[in-house]
Amino acid sequence: MMSIASFAKDGVREAALKAAEITRFEAQVNADAKVLGNLLDDGLEYTHSNGDLDTKASFIDSLVTGKRDYISSVATVDSVRIFGDVGVIRGKARVTVSGKDRQPQDLHIGYTDIWLWKDGRWQMTAWRSMRMPDSPVK
Amino acid sequence: MSHPRFLLLLLASLPLIALASPRGDEDSARAALQARFDAALHADVAALDKLLADDLEYCGVSATCSTKAQYLESVRSGTRKFRSLVPKVERVTLFADSAVLTGKVYAVSIGDGTERNVDAYFLVVLAWRDDRWQMTNQSSTLLQPKPKT
Repeated sequence: MMSIASFAKDGVREAALKAAEITRFEAQVNADAKVLGNLLDDGLEYTHSNGDLDTKASFIDSLVTGKRDYISSVATVDSVRIFGDVGVIRGKARVTVSGKDRQPQDLHIGYTDIWLWKDGRWQMTAWRSMRMPDSPVK
Repeated sequence: MSHPRFLLLLLASLPLIALASPRGDEDSARAALQARFDAALHADVAALDKLLADDLEYCGVSATCSTKAQYLESVRSGTRKFRSLVPKVERVTLFADSAVLTGKVYAVSIGDGTERNVDAYFLVVLAWRDDRWQMTNQSSTLLQPKPKT
């Protein structure tokens, strides 16, 4: 049976998870390596909507070097669920991204990201995204 | 009963308690995922009903997400049909009551009389409930097409 204490713990963790998600989107736009270093799990698997793959190191490097430049990123969270030490967020995002080798692209994506509760904080360990049917760039 | 004796009895019974409540391990998580893909391939709705959690969120490569009821109906009606479905698990991360599995799935889907290769990265979350693994989320992204040579 779930105790009041565990309900309270889940409530605190859920609020922390939502905050971490918002901070992560902001840090991506700001190419803030320090914040991302704290929020991303060392075992991160980041699968972009075009099928590109990044590790934690390659993802942060791509932002810092400008290879991938998130000009804006507006997310709408559809669901937040917590299974013990695993958090699952599902949502949609309108993203404008450019980079050294490409013109700005407007994308509308559906995404799922997985967070792990480690060392007393949430860390994102996996991201999968798909282009929505109405995405300006398919 | 004195406290020390009670504590000793409690400690002695811990292994029995553990045996009475088997938890999911990596092998059983992999087996549950394989069983779920096999059941999808054979359109086995009864098996899927047991393997999928009631709060399933299933997000396919088209970016549309389905509930368990919607997913089962698509299998039952034949909207979701496969000629082959071959998963390759690349990572399993295990927790007390959940497991995260990632990898690739190589699929041939059948729709409107035509077959289509749908190869994708998958992300699956299993929850340990009622003494078995149940899939609560699957999200997929199409594999990057191979460069033309």
